[in-house]
Amino acid sequence: MRRIAFLFASVLLPLACPVQADEVQSEAPQSVVRVNVTNQPWDFGRPWGKRPPYSRRAIGTILPDNQVLVTAELVANANYVELETAEGGQKVPARVEVVDYEANLALLKTDDVAFLKPFKPLELTHAHIGDTLSVWQLENTGTLLVTKGPMTTAEVTRYPIDDAALLVYRMTTPLQFRDSSFTLPVIKDGKLAGLVMRYDNTTNNAEILPAPVIEHFLLDAKKAPYEGFARIGITSSPTRDPQFRKYLGLDASTSGGVYIADVQQDGPAAQGGMEQGDVLLQIDGQAVDQDGNYRDQEYGKVGLAYLFSTKHFDGDKVKCIVFRKGEKKELNVTLKHRPVESYVVEPYIIDRAPKFYVLGGLVLQELSRQYLKEYGNDWQKKAPENFVYFDHQQNELFKNGPKKIVFLNRVLPSEMTVGYEELSQLVLTKINDMAIQSLDDVPKALAHPINGLHKIEFDGEPKIIFLDAAQVEAEAASFQKKYRLPELQHLN
Amino acid sequence: MILRLWPVVLALGLIVSPLRAQPNEIRKSVARINNTMQEGNYRVPWLPGQLGGGSGTGWVVSADRILTNAHVVSNARFLTVEKEDDPKKYIATVEHIAHDCDLAILKVQDPAFFKNTKPLALGGIPELESTVSVFGYPIGGERLSVTQGVVSRIDFRTYTHSVLDSHLTIQIDAAINPGNSGGPVLQEGNVVGVAFQGFSGDVAQNVGYMIPTPVIRHFLKDIEDGHYDRYMDLSIGIANTQNPAMRKGLGLGDDDRGVMVSSVQSAGVCGGKLEVGDVLLSIDGHDIASDGMVELEGERVLMSEVAERKFLGDSVKLGVLRNKKPLDVTIKFDHAWPYLMQANAYDTQPTYILFGGLLFQPLSRNLLGAYRFQNDRISYFYDNFVTKEIYKEHPEVIVLSEILPDPINTYLSEFHDGIVDEINDHKIRTLKDAADAFAEKPEFYVIKFIGYARPLVLERSAVEAARERIRKRYNVLAEQNLSETEATSASR
Repeated sequence: MRRIAFLFASVLLPLACPVQADEVQSEAPQSVVRVNVTNQPWDFGRPWGKRPPYSRRAIGTILPDNQVLVTAELVANANYVELETAEGGQKVPARVEVVDYEANLALLKTDDVAFLKPFKPLELTHAHIGDTLSVWQLENTGTLLVTKGPMTTAEVTRYPIDDAALLVYRMTTPLQFRDSSFTLPVIKDGKLAGLVMRYDNTTNNAEILPAPVIEHFLLDAKKAPYEGFARIGITSSPTRDPQFRKYLGLDASTSGGVYIADVQQDGPAAQGGMEQGDVLLQIDGQAVDQDGNYRDQEYGKVGLAYLFSTKHFDGDKVKCIVFRKGEKKELNVTLKHRPVESYVVEPYIIDRAPKFYVLGGLVLQELSRQYLKEYGNDWQKKAPENFVYFDHQQNELFKNGPKKIVFLNRVLPSEMTVGYEELSQLVLTKINDMAIQSLDDVPKALAHPINGLHKIEFDGEPKIIFLDAAQVEAEAASFQKKYRLPELQHLN
Repeated sequence: MILRLWPVVLALGLIVSPLRAQPNEIRKSVARINNTMQEGNYRVPWLPGQLGGGSGTGWVVSADRILTNAHVVSNARFLTVEKEDDPKKYIATVEHIAHDCDLAILKVQDPAFFKNTKPLALGGIPELESTVSVFGYPIGGERLSVTQGVVSRIDFRTYTHSVLDSHLTIQIDAAINPGNSGGPVLQEGNVVGVAFQGFSGDVAQNVGYMIPTPVIRHFLKDIEDGHYDRYMDLSIGIANTQNPAMRKGLGLGDDDRGVMVSSVQSAGVCGGKLEVGDVLLSIDGHDIASDGMVELEGERVLMSEVAERKFLGDSVKLGVLRNKKPLDVTIKFDHAWPYLMQANAYDTQPTYILFGGLLFQPLSRNLLGAYRFQNDRISYFYDNFVTKEIYKEHPEVIVLSEILPDPINTYLSEFHDGIVDEINDHKIRTLKDAADAFAEKPEFYVIKFIGYARPLVLERSAVEAARERIRKRYNVLAEQNLSETEATSASR
């Protein structure tokens, strides 16, 4: 759950606090450009179309090799991207070269090589607790507005795509509202320490996407295909409770260790032999504490996810020592990125059109968190309760299938669907007696009508309905025309 | 769905008196009821509960009985009744209470109360637009109040007292205010309804509801044997069959007859006798239309109205089409629907177990009203308790609703709001199962929660050492109550 508002997603009010814009570095505008993006997300409620486009302005940081770094959120479902010089307002079109929505980073490129030539790329540097960091913004005139603040924390926390947990830096700083305040660079000693990811204007707390994550992303971006951040595929639970430690048989000589509450089915840990109920004591020779942290040389106690995801890469092997039934066991786990397609309820669908199938007026779709988010910021309360439950508990509920949850979103009424008009939000289980594992199964099942009828079964009332197969086929074209649908299906 | 429903008055034990009551006689037979009530405390269930007061109206229904609403006399500790023109307060007790149709019968200890009273006679269903008079003791004054209005609508509606039941209801535009509840609504000297619910003024004006005589007669008939058995229900879901393909698929002709069975509750009277996909063609010889209506004595009513009129021990004959073959099925109403956790509960004591400072309580509407649970599994289990037959595995859904902090449970907050699955490998189906498991003496109590692989572990010696400490610190009067009935609350 995201409790902190996204950076300037809503208008930031002018702050009473004076801005510490004391130091204007003359070279700074030479390292950043404005980035203008027009986004147009798909409409998951009416999956054949897109929502109205909107535009955002941001700051891109220029890196070596003529690359411009921004957050992935900025370019999600982008139709058009352009770069603009801070002073002078010269513009060139750009494209998204590499994007990782889980790590929330994107690299932009322009074919106009000359455009970036005068600029001075920024190098990366790590920041540490207590450092004074500067956040860069641009005034309308193109001059730089610098706001300083101390870095307070480095910890592993959730990123905008709720499923990913990676390192962030936190700093306290009184940022002002400026026109292009998306993806602000955070600078230490003239080098890039991170990008502002979220800002809460009531507490002045900024969450910074930090240099170690950016470095990892840049290294991955050099490889094709892009692999993404690796996972180990476990859910852990603390072992602080002395009664629990005693029950597990951990004697007083063992101080740490985290309980493995769940192992992702067929995930890296499972394939390496880790089991639910193990106590993870060590990774890579690093002791794991009772809360699932380890002592990082740079950041002190941080969550293990930093070790797996950021310090290691997809394909790396890590040596784990677990405690199982009174014995210590050594396991070798090969870390892997978890592809978004492997989720039953996909956590995000960005830059891809939603799948759908219109069957005689029944609009069939696959359940995704992107669909649930159509219910707004408080979708967890407003979206159909059973769908939210399926999303939250998907690791537990669908171990034996289906691969995706196919559901009837709504009915576009027609002669074929008389009496079915009010059906909506029903999980579809079978068509013509064939179990439906994903939307791709729908056309296969429709190839075998029973006595000229399509028998469609749902998880909830009315359980069974029928459509006339010949009628559905004969009226498809006129139905499509009547509702002005660009297409009746979009599958892979 | 709007149901056009107009069941005809049943010829029951009570015969409409040919003599109409005169206005003066009516006044003498209307009583004010004062209730000193005590509701169970679900947050601190060992406490006796909050005391409250309320008043309503009742009326003399037979030589020595008063009829009123169940909600007027629910949770009663002490009841008095008063009449106009009589200074005495008479002590009354509840003889029968029907929470599913919001009616109750009171006994008055002193026969002197009934001197000068005359039982009011029951009439039929008043015509739309005809005038009725509401008698009662609403807020705004001390003496008997009479208001007049017209009959606006006759419909099936939820009875908010239990919230789970719907019966025939008559809407009138006479002012019905708090205190009117239980009072008679008269037309031409006969009772045509009992005022029972309305809207608060900021929702709708001049909308009051009364319980019509078919429901009153059903209640009076049910208690003739000295015991209230509750309304009978088929406990099935039905789907309409208006769609031509649906009709073809089910083997139905073009005669607008029949509904498809879309769910059969295994705990209901039709469990094992009907199947999903069966078509119901007739009920007790009445043809069922494709929208689920039947014609009873010239009026189209919902088919469930036929079951509404039945009593425990009655039967109903269904004409069924199964796999396109006709079949007669007789359903005996041999039990009322057993699982009422989704209904408001009254006159019950909260059941619970306090163990090691952990409070375990069965999920119910009352419990949800007392807590704000964060676990979406609880709302899923609550909403789908019947539809997904969760009651089969968990007749009671046992929730860890509260943790009274103590050194033995200080690390256990992650289990708050969990649903208990097993204790020491015993499957927990009811609170009694949990009590039995806690009565054993293992070295560790290992509690498993649904969907949560990490077990909660309590060391027996620690629980025993903490027991007195917790009892004292939190002033726990009893560590468990397994019985809902008031008189025999067990404690250990």
